[in-house]
Amino acid sequence: MDVAVLGIGFCGSFPKSEGLSYRELIRRAAVMAYNDAGIEASQLEGAVSCEEDFVSGYSISDEYVPDQLGVQKKSVYTICGDLLHGLSSSVMQLKTGQFKLIAVSSYSKASNILTKNEVLNFAYDPVWNRFDVTPNYLAGIEMQQFVEKSKYSADDVAQVVSDSKAKGLSNSQAPYGANLSASDVLNARSVASPVTEPMIARPSDGAVVFVLGTEETAIKKARKPVFISGTGWSSGNSIIERRDHATSPGTANAAKMAFAEAGISNPNKDLDGIYVSDLYAHRCLMHLDAMEIEGGLNGKINPDGGSLSNGDLIEANGGARLYDAIAQLRDEAGSHQLSSPKRVAVQGWRGLPTDSCSVVVVDRERRIQS
Amino acid sequence: MSNSANRVGVIGAGMTRFVRRAKEAPGELAAKAVEMALDDAGLTINDIDAVCHGTAPDAFDGVHMKGEHLIAGSGGVNKPYSRHFVGGGTGVFSPIHGWMHVASGKFKNCLIVAEEKMSPCVPHPAGAFLTIFDHTTEQPLNLTLLHIFAIEMCRFMHKYGYTEEELARVSVICKKNALGHPAAQIAKETNVEEVMNSPLLSWPVKRLDISPTSDGAVAIVLANEEITRKHCKAPAYIDGVGFRLDTAYWCTRDLAYPEYVANAAGDAYRMADLSNPEKEIDFWEPYDPFDYKALHHMNGLLQDPTGKRVKELLLSGAFEKDGSHPLCPSGGALGVGNPIAATGLMKIAELYFQLTGQAGARQLQKTVQRGIAQAWGDLMQVGTVVIMNADKGTVSTSNKWKEMKKEDLPGTALKSAKDVPFIDYQPDIRYSWDNGMALTTYLEGFKAGKIRGSRCPSCKRMMIPARAFCEECNLKEVNDYFDLPDTGIIKTFTLSNVDWDSSMLGDGKVNIFAVIEIDGTQENMGLVHRLMEVDPKDVKVGMRVKAVWKPEKERTGSITDLDYFRPLLKSDATDVKPVRVKPVELDSVTAKSFPGKIPLDYRYTAGVAGVKFYEDLAQGKLTGTECSCCNTVHIPPTAFCEKCMVSLDSDGKAKELDPDKGKIVGFTVVTEDRSGEPLAKPEVMVQVGFEGATGTIFGKLETEDPSKVKTGMGVALQASRECGPNHLIFK
Ligand SMILES: [Zn+2]
Ligand SMILES: [Zn+2]
Repeated sequence: MDVAVLGIGFCGSFPKSEGLSYRELIRRAAVMAYNDAGIEASQLEGAVSCEEDFVSGYSISDEYVPDQLGVQKKSVYTICGDLLHGLSSSVMQLKTGQFKLIAVSSYSKASNILTKNEVLNFAYDPVWNRFDVTPNYLAGIEMQQFVEKSKYSADDVAQVVSDSKAKGLSNSQAPYGANLSASDVLNARSVASPVTEPMIARPSDGAVVFVLGTEETAIKKARKPVFISGTGWSSGNSIIERRDHATSPGTANAAKMAFAEAGISNPNKDLDGIYVSDLYAHRCLMHLDAMEIEGGLNGKINPDGGSLSNGDLIEANGGARLYDAIAQLRDEAGSHQLSSPKRVAVQGWRGLPTDSCSVVVVDRERRIQS
Repeated sequence: MSNSANRVGVIGAGMTRFVRRAKEAPGELAAKAVEMALDDAGLTINDIDAVCHGTAPDAFDGVHMKGEHLIAGSGGVNKPYSRHFVGGGTGVFSPIHGWMHVASGKFKNCLIVAEEKMSPCVPHPAGAFLTIFDHTTEQPLNLTLLHIFAIEMCRFMHKYGYTEEELARVSVICKKNALGHPAAQIAKETNVEEVMNSPLLSWPVKRLDISPTSDGAVAIVLANEEITRKHCKAPAYIDGVGFRLDTAYWCTRDLAYPEYVANAAGDAYRMADLSNPEKEIDFWEPYDPFDYKALHHMNGLLQDPTGKRVKELLLSGAFEKDGSHPLCPSGGALGVGNPIAATGLMKIAELYFQLTGQAGARQLQKTVQRGIAQAWGDLMQVGTVVIMNADKGTVSTSNKWKEMKKEDLPGTALKSAKDVPFIDYQPDIRYSWDNGMALTTYLEGFKAGKIRGSRCPSCKRMMIPARAFCEECNLKEVNDYFDLPDTGIIKTFTLSNVDWDSSMLGDGKVNIFAVIEIDGTQENMGLVHRLMEVDPKDVKVGMRVKAVWKPEKERTGSITDLDYFRPLLKSDATDVKPVRVKPVELDSVTAKSFPGKIPLDYRYTAGVAGVKFYEDLAQGKLTGTECSCCNTVHIPPTAFCEKCMVSLDSDGKAKELDPDKGKIVGFTVVTEDRSGEPLAKPEVMVQVGFEGATGTIFGKLETEDPSKVKTGMGVALQASRECGPNHLIFK
C-alpha cells in the first residue's frame, strides 16, 4: 500500500507571531495543506498532532487540537514527539487499512513561552539530573565528548553554523540566515563549553500541516503528491548517565529501519537530499555520523539552512525540514532548490535531554507497487 | 475484522498495585508492570519489536516530556518507542496505538505501557486541572476538573431524570467488584446511603461519587495472529477499535450525551462487524472516574441519546456482576483506583483476563465471548473504545492471574513523601499567549462591557468566544463581529465547596459555576461563568440570568471584567439585539497577549533505588545495583535493569563502589543558571564514571581552576545528607 503526502502547509518561521493566535497560526497552515491536496477539511477522517503539554501551555494539550484543523468529532490523537514521529504513526494507521485520509500537524509558539529554560530544565530527571545551572549543560557535555571522540573538531562544529546560516540567506522563510564566520562562532559567548551561543538554534514560531492518503483517486487529485517509502524511529537511553554522549544511537537505529524499508543500501549514493536536526550545531554532525553520511555538511544537506537558520520550532522541527524536502522533490524550493532530487531523507531529533530520533524517506515517484 | 492486514492478539499483562502515593519512581512503576507482562507472555525484552507508552498529563508526574523520562522503565531503550496522548482517554487508546503498530504489518509485536504517578503534584494533583481550560477565556475563573464534572453531571441528571441515589448505585457496584481485584486501592462493600452521606464537594458530586487519585502502572503485550496462535496460552483478540475527539469549545455542545463516545463505538462496531452490539457484547468496562460517568458512557456505547435503555438496565440490576450486562467487573476506577492512563489499560487487561478465564474471583459466571472497554478524557471531549474477542473454547491453563493476591503485586504505598528521602521543586513556567484577531476583539469587548461573538457566513452560527474561522465549516474565514445581549439562560451548573486546588472553601462558602447560553446566539452556544446574588438552592437549569460588569475603570480586557451573572429581574431589558461591530485592527500596540502559568509545586520521592543511594551517600558510601542477567553494576542505581527488564534488588544486592575512585568522562563549564540568567561565577558540571560500574553520576565539580579540568581526571564524590541532584558534588 502506498502512502502519499498529498498536501503540505507551513506558516512560519517567525521570531514572533503576535498577530496570530496559535489557533489562527495552525489554521493557516491547515487550509494551505488542504488546498494543496485538493480536499476540504470535512473529507479527513482524523488527524495526528505532535506536541507536549508544557510547550502548549496546557495540562492536556490534545484538547485543543481538532478545531483549527477542522477535524472536530473525528479520529484525532496526539503523539508526544517530533512531527516525524507522528507522521510515522499515521503511516501505520493508514496501513491498517481502516483509514484513508488523515492530517498530521505540529506547531510552535515558542515566543509565548516566557521561561523556556525552565521548561527544558523540567524535562530532566528530578532525582538525578535537574541542576540549578542551565539545562544546556548536557549539550556542553555532548559536544565536548563528540569533538574528543569523533573525527570532527570544534572548528568543524563552528563551520556548520557558518555554512547553515549562509544557506539560510537563500531561503526567504528563514529568519536567522546570516553571514557569520567559524571564528565568529567560536569566539562568541560561551553557554556551556564548548557550546557557544550561535551554536544553539534560536526559538521560532510556526505551524506545519501535512495531508496523508492512500487512495488512488486522492493521489490523482492532489497537485503534486510525493511518496513515503520508509519510516524509522528509535530512542537512546533516557537514563542519561548510561548513554554515550558522543553518538546518537536513536538516529542510527531509526535510519537503519527507514533505509531498510526504503531499500537504501548506500545513503551517500541513494539520497539526493538529506535533512538532519541541528538544534545544536554538533548534533548536525553527530546525526550525519549516525546515518553513515560521509563528508559532513555538504550542499545537499539541510539546503534550507536547517534549524540554525529557520529557528527551533520545537516539535515542528522535523515537519519544517520535511516541508522543504517535499518542496525540493516538487522542484518548488526557489533559490535553494537542489537539482531535481528524486529521493530525500529527513531526520528529526526531539532535542535535549533526549536521544529520540526519527527518519523518514520521501520519493518523487512511487517505489512500492501496490 | 474485514480490511486489516493483521489480526492483533493480547498475549500477556502485568500491573502494579494502585496506591495513593508510591515509593517507586515513575520509571520503576512502569518497569514492574513491564517485567510481569513479559513474563506473562513468555517473552523477554529482546523479543519485543516496538514499545508504545500511554500516560496522561506531564503535570502529574512533574516531568516535562515524561514519555521520554519513561523510556528506560518501559523497556524502550534503543527501540522504536513513542508516546501517544488523548488525556484521560489515553489508557484505552494505548492498545489502539499498539494495534496500529502490529495491524499495519510494520511490527510483529508491541509492548504497551501505561504509567501515572499523580502524587508528586502538591498540595493536590487536582491543581493540575486548572490548566486544562482555555488559558485566555476560562482559566481566569479558577476552574478545576471537579467543576466541569459536576456541571456535566447536573446536565446529565436534568436530561435523563436521574436522582443522586440512583447514580450512587454505580459506585456501590464498582467498589464491591473491586474486592476481587488484586490491584485495588479503595475496594469495599458499601451502600447508597454511605455514598449519599459522604462529604459534598461540588453539588451534585460527593466524595464517594469519585475515583481517587492514584499512582500505578499497567503493561500488556500485543502480537500478530501468527505469534498469538503459536503462543501456548489462550489469547484474546482486538477486533474493533474507535477513537473520536470533539471540539475544545465544550460550552458549545449539550454535555448530557457523549456523541464522541457513540461515534467511537460505532467505528469499533463496524470494524468488529457487530450488528447488535448490546446482544453481542457480554460485559462492559466503560470509564468510571465518577459514578454517573459510567452511565453517561453506556448511553454512548449503546448509541442511545434517549438514555432509556441504560436507566432500565441500572434500575433492574442488570449491571451487577451476575446481571445480564455486567458493568465494570474489574471494579473500575471507582474501586481499583484511577492512575488515569493506567486505569484505561487496566480495563483492557480485564477484558483479557475475563475472556481467557483468568479473572479469578472476578470471573463472570456466564460464558463470555466478547467484551468492550472505553475511556474518556479532555474537556468532556474524547472517547476511545476497544472490543476484544475470545478464541472460542480456549481457556488459560495458567493459574497465575486467577490466584493473584494483593501482596503478589509490586508497588509500595507510602503514607507521606516525607517518609523517605524526597526532593522539592518549584518550576517557574510562565507564558504570554498571543490573542490574535478574534480573541483580541473578544477581550476588547469585555473591556467595553460587552459579550462579543462572531458569525460564520456559512452555517450562520453566532459563536462565542469570537472565532476567526468556523471549526464546523471547513475552517471558513469569519469576519463579522457582534456585540450580543448580556443575558442568557442556565444550561447546567454546580454549587461548589472546593477551590481549583481541591482545598475546601470553608465557612459554608459556595461558588456557583454555570454554563450560560447567551441570548442572540443559538442552542448550545454559551460560556462558563460565576453566578451570584442568588441563594444556591434556588438555582435551576433554565433560569434566566444577566451579566453584572465590574466598574469600567477596573476592567482589563479579561473575561473577569464580567464580574458574574445574576438572576434576570423583571426590570431588565430583554429586547436587545446583536449589533455589528468593527473588529480590532492589529498593530504592534493593539495585538495583545494574555498571561498564563503552570501554578504547581512538586515533591518527588527518590524512588526505591534512589532512596537507598541517597541514604548511603549520607554516610559517604556509593552504591550501585547489580543485574545478574547481564552481570552489570548500574549507577545511578535503578530498581530494574533497562537492558534486561528485570527487577533488581537495590537494597539486598546493592554493590558498594569506591566514591573516591571517580574518573571524569565528560565535562562542561556553564555560565547560566537554570532560568538562563548569568551565574555569578562559572560552574563545572561533570559526568563521572567509577570502576566496576556501568553508567556514571552527573554532578558539580568544586574546583579553583575550571580550565584544568580534563577527561580522565580523578575525582571523589562527596558525602551529602541532602537528597537531590544539587547535592551531587565532586572534588
Ligand atoms: Zn460555520
Ligand atoms: Zn541486566
